[in-house]
Amino acid sequence: MASDSVGLDSVKSQILKDALYEEIKQHGSETRLFTQKDLIDLNIIPNNDVKQLLDIVQQLCNDKLLVGTTNHHAGLSWRWRSREEAKKYTSLPNDEAVMVYSIIDEAGADGIWNRTIKNKLNMHENVVKTCIKFLETKGYIASMKNVEHPNKKMYIKATLRPSERATGGPWFTEGELDTAFIAELEGIVFEYIKTKSAYRGSQPHTGGAASSSAGATKLPKKGAVTAADTTARGTKRSATEISTDDAAARAGGKSRAVFLPMPAGYKHYPTVAEIAKFIHDTGITNNTTLGEADIQQLVDVLTYDGLIEMVRVGRRRGYRVARAVKQDTVPFHKRQKEREAGVGLDLLPLIPGAEPLGNGLTEAPCGRCPVFELCEEGGPVSPSNCVYFLQWLELEDLPKAVAPSVPLPP
Amino acid sequence: MLVTKPVAELCALLIDELHGELPSRIFAILLSKGRSNLTQLAQYTAMTPRQVRHGLAVLQQHNLLFYHVDPSAEFASYEANADHAYNLVRTGKILEMVDTSFGPAAKDVMQSLLLSGQTRISDLVAAYREKIEQANQTAAIIGDDDDFGAETNGVNGDSQPAKKPGPLVKSTAHLNTLICRLVEAELIDVVHSKSFESPEDVLKTVEKEVMDKHFPAGVKGNKAKIELQERIAEGLRKVRGESKSLKRKLEQNGGSAAKRRKLVAGLGGANGVQDEDMDPALDPRQVIRINYEKCLVDLRNRRLAQYATDMIGETTAYVYGVLLKLLTKDLPRCRANPVMDAGDEKDESEKGTVCVTTEQILDNLKTSVDLSLGIGKAERRQVSSTAAEKIELYPPKKRVLIEEAEVDGEASADEDEGDNESSEESEYDSDYKAPATNGANGTNGVNGTNGTKVKFDESAAPKERRLDRPGQLRQHLLILSESTQRFVRHCGPDEWTVDFVPVMNSLREVELDSVIERTCGRQGLRLVRILRAKGKLDEKALPNVALMRKPELQQKMLEMQTAGFVSVQEVPRDLKADVKKSFFLWFCDVDRSLSRLLDTSYTTMVHCIQVLEALRQKERDVLETTKRTDVRGREKDTMRKSYYERYSRFLECERTLFAQVMRVDDLVSVLRDF
Ligand code: SF4
Repeated sequence: MASDSVGLDSVKSQILKDALYEEIKQHGSETRLFTQKDLIDLNIIPNNDVKQLLDIVQQLCNDKLLVGTTNHHAGLSWRWRSREEAKKYTSLPNDEAVMVYSIIDEAGADGIWNRTIKNKLNMHENVVKTCIKFLETKGYIASMKNVEHPNKKMYIKATLRPSERATGGPWFTEGELDTAFIAELEGIVFEYIKTKSAYRGSQPHTGGAASSSAGATKLPKKGAVTAADTTARGTKRSATEISTDDAAARAGGKSRAVFLPMPAGYKHYPTVAEIAKFIHDTGITNNTTLGEADIQQLVDVLTYDGLIEMVRVGRRRGYRVARAVKQDTVPFHKRQKEREAGVGLDLLPLIPGAEPLGNGLTEAPCGRCPVFELCEEGGPVSPSNCVYFLQWLELEDLPKAVAPSVPLPP
Repeated sequence: MLVTKPVAELCALLIDELHGELPSRIFAILLSKGRSNLTQLAQYTAMTPRQVRHGLAVLQQHNLLFYHVDPSAEFASYEANADHAYNLVRTGKILEMVDTSFGPAAKDVMQSLLLSGQTRISDLVAAYREKIEQANQTAAIIGDDDDFGAETNGVNGDSQPAKKPGPLVKSTAHLNTLICRLVEAELIDVVHSKSFESPEDVLKTVEKEVMDKHFPAGVKGNKAKIELQERIAEGLRKVRGESKSLKRKLEQNGGSAAKRRKLVAGLGGANGVQDEDMDPALDPRQVIRINYEKCLVDLRNRRLAQYATDMIGETTAYVYGVLLKLLTKDLPRCRANPVMDAGDEKDESEKGTVCVTTEQILDNLKTSVDLSLGIGKAERRQVSSTAAEKIELYPPKKRVLIEEAEVDGEASADEDEGDNESSEESEYDSDYKAPATNGANGTNGVNGTNGTKVKFDESAAPKERRLDRPGQLRQHLLILSESTQRFVRHCGPDEWTVDFVPVMNSLREVELDSVIERTCGRQGLRLVRILRAKGKLDEKALPNVALMRKPELQQKMLEMQTAGFVSVQEVPRDLKADVKKSFFLWFCDVDRSLSRLLDTSYTTMVHCIQVLEALRQKERDVLETTKRTDVRGREKDTMRKSYYERYSRFLECERTLFAQVMRVDDLVSVLRDF
């Protein structure tokens, strides 16, 4: 009789168990917490028998199908676990393995450091190690890298993908910032903004009348972009030379392609959303998804670099290229191709955007001199024995061997 | 000006270049020892009083000294005027500026003044009369030309080949006109009794006067203190105003220089050598000199126009230059004096800001300049005139480098524009239809309307709607006011002004940025600008914002810390102050970087001149030769070929180095004076 009732009970409780478990699953995801009241209200347990409910719940917990937690608001509560997962738990050989596995499970997509496991469980290091090894060979857990703590050995449930926080988002590849990818994308975004925010027109060479009459001292480009410019340096040119230059340019009367600024109030400077769409449409980023926030990050960097600037026209926040007139009309990727083909290898490394502005300090050797602080008449390094100046004045070609160990940055 | 060691060195070197070693040594001593009298100077310099006196006279003549005669003391005491000494480096620039805005003849007059220091008008007239007569004679006899302009200035470097026949200043009447014009432009002012007193002495005298006159019983209470301040400021302004007495007199005597010039031209003054040609207001006994303060205002205008060229384009910059010139016509100095101009400023806000109208600008544009250049074309409906024409009555409170997001693009960008388009258009047209006939021929419309859809390509051959000249001008002005640098503020319908303080701040930042970019690369610049926009930032937060790898970033930050562009602050996490756990906050102090940049600039200038000195030593033998009277002027024919080559190479280097000094001075002006 007794055994019979026990048998009957076990059958009954088995049915109730299954029914409760299925019902719980219907009511929410694996992360939802169910309080005791929630469970009663599911109306599975006859007569709202709390004692019986707790009994059943305990059995489910033993089967690892329910996980009990204490929550600040709700007190004791449970969430459910899938049967497969539960099976993993039940298949584990000992309690230690279960404990290790469950702590990794709880850590979720962020993963957990092996030292944290040891400390939290207060277990011997070796025990933890063997457990981890066992779980790894079983294929339940996997090691992972976290960009925030690149040197820590972290573990994660094998079925999960590491979270964004752990991988560092789309800019990271295997825990490393993918600078090549970023640089390429920056180039593309910049090129897009450049062509969308400036007008490609033509202008008579050197601006003709306006330039000479404006009376502004014109500064020749330093970077030696064209052959004609290579001879000009700093302000070696006196006013008379400049005016003859202009006259020559006017006589030549050739026009060249330039980017021109848009009229004030232009409404079509590209916005971040447009840039994001453009990047998406080109399909350059086929295996990474870039959200608008990511593109915003990229655009911000370009802004900090001084390549583009934000313009607000009405309520639209667009971006435009800075110093449009000074931009290269040849697309950046073409320039890159040229470089690959070996054109202009002697020039500065290729970076997007106009040539940086210079001033008296950046042109003079002292402004870039590595021994500036030491240099003084009468000291070990002094203007009267300065090699940089001799080089700059083209009075002396530095023999390669004597070339200063720290070359002046360009 | 704060006289630091490099400044003192630089001033001494400049005086050495221009006026010789003796004055230079005295000047250096004055800078290092402070106020001294003749005996003291003789002692310090180990020179005879005669030599010292001679040196002092040279310095005095060129306004490089302050002196003070204490009634109780026997001797006058002297003090160095470092500001004017520094200004020597600007000689070439000022001459060039006068040349472009007043013509070569005015430049010639300026040059004479620069060379001879302060001069009595009668002396100047006499000198010129002599020159003119001589020129007339030689022209009559040989018909040959000679250099009648005063000898070219050392700093200026490029000696001007005087190939023009005859003197630049044709007659004393011509000279008179030139002086009047320069006085009216405030580039020349008069020397008065207080010109040679140092600002501190002037302040003391004024203070004493005010105290004696208005507060014989001492100052009590806040109200009296304020009144005292106001009276002192007023007194100082009066002293300052004295140097403008000549200008005022000229103005009272009726008519501007332009008018007077016409009169003179009508009288056929070309052959007149009589004294009647001189304006009666120009008292021949009056001593005149160059007013550097006003020169700086004009130099600033040029620098700002250059800034606009760099940022926007040449045509727009030209318009900007004209606007600036009109706007600063009556601006006596770049930076208001905090004591003296406290009252002035109040007046100004009551008066309202000084501004220029579109029409004034239009009237002053050269007709040869094609305003259709320099701006892209866009369809009418692509442009929001309401946004472009926005009027800002007040100057900005604070400049924000990168604004935080409020509303994002997309939303309603176009919605409210569409319906008022028609009204805008009519307004636009009615405003500018009238003068449409003038000058629009054959020029490309700026605001071209293009059949269907703008393609960013010329080959689309847009069917353009021509904009007349005022319209084109307006486009340039609007671009200037829309620019991130805020070159111009559209302060009322058809009224424009410039808020110099924020524009100059942005220019200073640009100068700093270009130094950072050249020394620490674009990534360095990126990091500095991030810090500037965000304030202090944790080291851990930086890589994410800058999209840079941590090790590279840290290295860059250290590099920039040594260069003085950024600083770091350690904030311990808890009381134990464990370094490993501390936060490291990076930040950049723009003002500190700028003052460091200024010091670097001075030192660089000193180095340039020292390098030149070293070169001179090296080429001593060649230079000795060129000093011989039989060689001078005919170097090419008389010197051996190798010598001549060395000589011309040396000249080339000299020019380069001086040019470089002036370039660095451009930076110094921006950082310190503008
Ligand atoms: S060593 Fe030459 S480049 Fe360097 S600071 Fe001295 S003079 Fe200038």
